[in-house]
Amino acid sequence: MEKLILILTGICGAMATYYVNTRLKQGPVRASALLTLPIAAFCYFFPEVLSPYLTKNIPVVFIGSTFIGMVSAQKMSTYTGIAIAGLVFSAIYLNTSRFSDGYGGSLGTSACISILVMLCIPYFKSKRNLTVGLLQLRRMAVKGWRRNKSR
Amino acid sequence: MKQYLRYSIVLLLVVVLLLFLLMIVKENTQDYTVIIFFASIIILVLYAFLKLRKVLHHEKTEFESYKLAVFVPVGALSSYFLNHEAGLGPVFGAAIVGLLASFIPNLNKKSAYLQGLPTAIYCGAFIGMSHLKIADGYAFVLTASFFTGIFLMVSKSVLQGVGGKLGALAFLGVVVTYFLLMLIR
Repeated sequence: MEKLILILTGICGAMATYYVNTRLKQGPVRASALLTLPIAAFCYFFPEVLSPYLTKNIPVVFIGSTFIGMVSAQKMSTYTGIAIAGLVFSAIYLNTSRFSDGYGGSLGTSACISILVMLCIPYFKSKRNLTVGLLQLRRMAVKGWRRNKSR
Repeated sequence: MKQYLRYSIVLLLVVVLLLFLLMIVKENTQDYTVIIFFASIIILVLYAFLKLRKVLHHEKTEFESYKLAVFVPVGALSSYFLNHEAGLGPVFGAAIVGLLASFIPNLNKKSAYLQGLPTAIYCGAFIGMSHLKIADGYAFVLTASFFTGIFLMVSKSVLQGVGGKLGALAFLGVVVTYFLLMLIR
């Protein structure tokens, strides 16, 4: 259950930052820091509200996922892509090695990996590609259905 | 010369990202799901660097000004202070530094120099997030900031607009400093 909460935190953090960064035009740095500040402050001032595991990990996962939302709209422009990148980030965080533990920037590295993975899948890069992908999928489904019908 | 420096930073980034992923695989050798998942990620990251060259590292080689890179230590030292001396923790400390830095361009919206400062300061703030067992003093933070500043200058046209680039550069700076100090000591 706690891991599921962390995964959801990763997805929400990435999407919210992307929204504030691109739609509200606050810029990547302000979007990331502005959203992280209340989460970090809540966990710092009220550590007893959540379990110790969540109090320790939610701010870390959240700030890491905000780095995904710092991506420029030219590189990635679908919320689906951002959400999946958040999911990949959370999966990396949950399995992260002791080697990188304590090194500053390791969260950014995980975020960078998540974005690179999503950039390899063109359907998630832009809305246009997503539409083309859906059209191709629909065409294939219709073709298969007609072939089955003719048999 | 500039082109070779760009290739070097790309190579360094690839090595560090792969090392980061391989260490995860090494520590989870008993779990096949994790191995398959991370093996796929390694293949995709390699594919991204090899095939998406035009998207990720622009053909044109550009360098960031050293005037921006000198602000990396400012972010690193203030984040380190808030993290360890003030006891706010790494996330709270970095968020405060990042938020304050993000308002610097408001001082003069026409200045291109001020527009770039939040990026350099936030990049430095990630160094300050390091644990005491890695960054054991201000000397370490300053050295890591120096390397990160250089990486930031050289990588202007690399991974442009990719989220996590600043963190990856900070990670690179901290890892290089840590291993250099390990060799010296």
